[in-house]
Amino acid sequence: MIEKQGENITEDEAALYDRQIRLWGLDAQKRLRASRVLVAGLCGLGAEVTKNLVLSGVKSIKMLDHRKVTQIDICANFLAPHDSLGKNIAEASKERAQILNPMVQVTADTGNIADKNDEYFTQFDVVCISRCQREHLVRINNVCNQNKILFFAGDVFGMFGYTFTDVQEHHYVEEVKEHKTVKKQDGKTQTNETTKMVKRVETFYPLSQALDVDWTTKKYASQLRRVSPAYFIMHIIMEFMSLHGRTPDPAHRKEDEVELLTIKNALMDKMNIPQEKVNNNFAGIVFGQMSPVCAIVGGILAQEIIKTVSQKDPPNNNFFFFSTLDGAGVVECVGH
Amino acid sequence: MATHIPGLLEEKLRAGITSSKVLVVGAGGIGCELLKDLVLAGFEDIEVIDLDTIDVSNLNRQFLFQKKHVGKSKAEVAKESALRFNPRASITAHHDSIIKSTYGMSFYQKFDLVMNALDNRSARNHVNRMCLAADIPLVESGTAGYLGQVTVIKKGVTECYECQPKPSQKTYPGCTIRNTPSEPIHCIVWAKHLFNQLFGEADPDEDVSPDAADPEQVGQAGQAALGDDKDHNTHTDGNVTRVSTRAWAKSHQYQAKKLFTKLFTEDIHYLLTMDKLWEKRRKPTPLLWDSLPSDGDDNDNNDGLIEDQRPWSVERCRQVFETAVNNLYNRVKGRVVWDNNDGLIEDQRPWSVERCRQVFETAVNNLYNRVKSEEKEKEDTEDDVSLTWDKDDPDSMDFVTSCANIRAHIFNIPQKTRFDVKSMAGAIIPAIATTNAIIAGVIVLEAMKLLTEDARGYWWAAPSTPPRPKCTVCAPRPELTVKLDTRHTTIRTLDQKILRGSINMAAPDVEIMDGKGTIVISSEEGETECNMGKTLQELGIVDGTRLNCDDFLQSYTLVVNIVHCEKLDEGTEFTILGNSEEIKKAQEEEAEVAAEVEQNRKQKISNDGTKTADGGETSDEMVVAEVEDDDLVCLEDVEDEVEEQEVEEEEEEESRKRRSDDIVGGETQPLKKLKSGGGSSSSSGSGSGDSSDVIEEVMLD
Repeated sequence: MIEKQGENITEDEAALYDRQIRLWGLDAQKRLRASRVLVAGLCGLGAEVTKNLVLSGVKSIKMLDHRKVTQIDICANFLAPHDSLGKNIAEASKERAQILNPMVQVTADTGNIADKNDEYFTQFDVVCISRCQREHLVRINNVCNQNKILFFAGDVFGMFGYTFTDVQEHHYVEEVKEHKTVKKQDGKTQTNETTKMVKRVETFYPLSQALDVDWTTKKYASQLRRVSPAYFIMHIIMEFMSLHGRTPDPAHRKEDEVELLTIKNALMDKMNIPQEKVNNNFAGIVFGQMSPVCAIVGGILAQEIIKTVSQKDPPNNNFFFFSTLDGAGVVECVGH
Repeated sequence: MATHIPGLLEEKLRAGITSSKVLVVGAGGIGCELLKDLVLAGFEDIEVIDLDTIDVSNLNRQFLFQKKHVGKSKAEVAKESALRFNPRASITAHHDSIIKSTYGMSFYQKFDLVMNALDNRSARNHVNRMCLAADIPLVESGTAGYLGQVTVIKKGVTECYECQPKPSQKTYPGCTIRNTPSEPIHCIVWAKHLFNQLFGEADPDEDVSPDAADPEQVGQAGQAALGDDKDHNTHTDGNVTRVSTRAWAKSHQYQAKKLFTKLFTEDIHYLLTMDKLWEKRRKPTPLLWDSLPSDGDDNDNNDGLIEDQRPWSVERCRQVFETAVNNLYNRVKGRVVWDNNDGLIEDQRPWSVERCRQVFETAVNNLYNRVKSEEKEKEDTEDDVSLTWDKDDPDSMDFVTSCANIRAHIFNIPQKTRFDVKSMAGAIIPAIATTNAIIAGVIVLEAMKLLTEDARGYWWAAPSTPPRPKCTVCAPRPELTVKLDTRHTTIRTLDQKILRGSINMAAPDVEIMDGKGTIVISSEEGETECNMGKTLQELGIVDGTRLNCDDFLQSYTLVVNIVHCEKLDEGTEFTILGNSEEIKKAQEEEAEVAAEVEQNRKQKISNDGTKTADGGETSDEMVVAEVEDDDLVCLEDVEDEVEEQEVEEEEEEESRKRRSDDIVGGETQPLKKLKSGGGSSSSSGSGSGDSSDVIEEVMLD
């Protein structure tokens, strides 16, 4: 974990980070700049997270992705220049990521995340993954659990996006306002407000546990009514990616929409969930990546990372969903 | 871009984006993110306007800018950077103020949509009116710390930005600032006023010398004034001619010691002669340039010990150490550098009085040299050179920090570090990349929704709040009431402070609704200049007079009802009331919600023995200046939109918490007021405001 506190913040850093130090304080800034982050999957979401974290002043960011830049990528990943089509997307995104903040070490890795051994992930304090199949997400999550590495995953499909957090036993502080009414000598009362820092611990759950929920058990049947349909949309797209080795493709919109609905029917049946839980119109909005949705989900994801690294305030436990069908972001805790 | 890839977007949306022309007002924190999202999504006909230039403190979030761009136009650089994300886009950049006649109705009518990414209320008010007049949909936004909001405004369909009255900016009574400061903020306001008196544009309302006309002292004004000081005619009533602070300082070549002695020795002695002020207050202690106390810790000690017999805290030791080192260093004129292992940045370390004096001296010298060299450059003009106070200018900050702390020391008020003074004097609202990114994303989704309103099935539905019938801006015949003293208020005050300053008209024409249409203010240059110095009464404007105020640029006509009032709250020249019932209702709500706050305040008042001008506020953090992102803080009731009970509760709780600490800084505004203040959930877009809040609340914290 990130207990180590580097040397003091320099005056240059104080000037650059002035507006955020005024928000989260000097200690949070020190923790941030001691943290080494892996961002895997340089899609629009990966680019947003990278931008936000580089700007915030982490120690280092490694961008990992084996894919080549496509037309769809440059509609969302603004770090990859237009003339980089066909080149490796991690490498292509490096220059613009570095320009955002020269004080952060930015490196690129063109390897495939599926080929990375467990050891690879132990060089980071934070691992954040997108564009990755479910089986690898689950494996890497377990590696992070064993090595006390903060694990985040997320993705954006068209107008839909999610994030997932597993930071094991997370210790953090929270400001708590206390109101004390004091009787004064003249008989009048005065309410004093004091701010106290309170230490808290929160437990998170592995992705495998959060995905493999038996909704027929008594424990979850009551939650089913309230849980966002977005949770199941995520399941459906993960299944699509496992089956086809790719995300839904605008070039095959018609066929993929049908395929998504086929998967939905099978999956909902398998999980014993009524089909009505998820409206079929989801299949129309999950193509490509929309920049505003990447910005929203990437903003949330990066802020969760900042919050966790700085150990201030409780992180979202454990899913966040956003879609233009709801227009609202929701937090769901599944798998506890 | 997204629109160029077949199958990526639903057709109506693709067509809507492709054919649209949009205006982005502001290229700062939200503006940068907005431009990125827009060009990536395929908006390719964009104009962006911003009058600001790039500062180093922008770089932690305004990611289209880099260090090499510091000092350059935000609009221009943002355009160049955004074009790299989509070379096919056409972006027109205006390095200019949106509040200009250049950007009139015909300018707005070019666009399908306007998106606000502003940081101040007057520009928001102006764009709101322009969009209402041109009937162009407006997406309004703002962020502050972890919070943000987005609202869609459509004429006749939703509330406008000004439908809900916003909390007014905090001001402090002149007497508190000049005579009887009791909180750090009073000293900081005083120091900023002093800066303007000495180096900038002197405002008669920003006088810094003792005010002999203090109501508490009436009847025995300090005749015992410093009769020996012939240079500045004794402080009699404010209306007596006297040499300006600036002229006085100039005649002494801005010698730091002279200034110090006048401000911190003589003026304080003068205040002490106003003995009524000190009956219930602790007296201030004048300071002498040559013999300053060695540290700030000279509180009353009733332990019967002599100073040298009291133990020192480690902190005290550190201060003494610092002063001693400074003094020794001054003596040897060598250079002493040592490492501070307290983990603080330089600006977070407290200054001793001696340190303040040194900083004061250096800052005064530097600022005076700047004035002198600028004067040399434009020798032929008669006008005084004036510097503008800027929180990012080190000399300006040093001047205000040192003056405020010296004054605080004199009045036994806790001192503040340079870091804190900067927050307070600069009214800094903290800002981070993530919040801006999220809010910009929501703005773009709202924009897309507006462009494809009939494309149901892909967008969330949201209820809208209709326009408020008594709105002083978007109602069919808006009216408001101004309470003032018609015998003393001048036409200039009406024009500059009320109509332009408070009501945010750009160039008002005013006539009396007396059947004759007597013109008192004309927007044509020079036409009514002769009226400016006259009082309202002299021109026949008395209690009950109705004024027709028209702003041609904003296509905004407002009837102002004058209510004559001889007893305004101290330190206020006028009070603007919307609709009287509305005001009453607001006050009731306020009283209800903020009963505690109120009580607190009263307590405070009785403690201080002073009145606060506008009540309500108990905290001291915000000076009213160029407030960044001032009034975006509002959160809406989300009950209708969000189904998840837990989420809701979390939000509410969070919003309360955030509202009280991060966002509002010190403006301890009653909850209800804040909620309503936000332009609230509106219209087709109303979900947006809420959704952004939901996201912010739930996710960011």
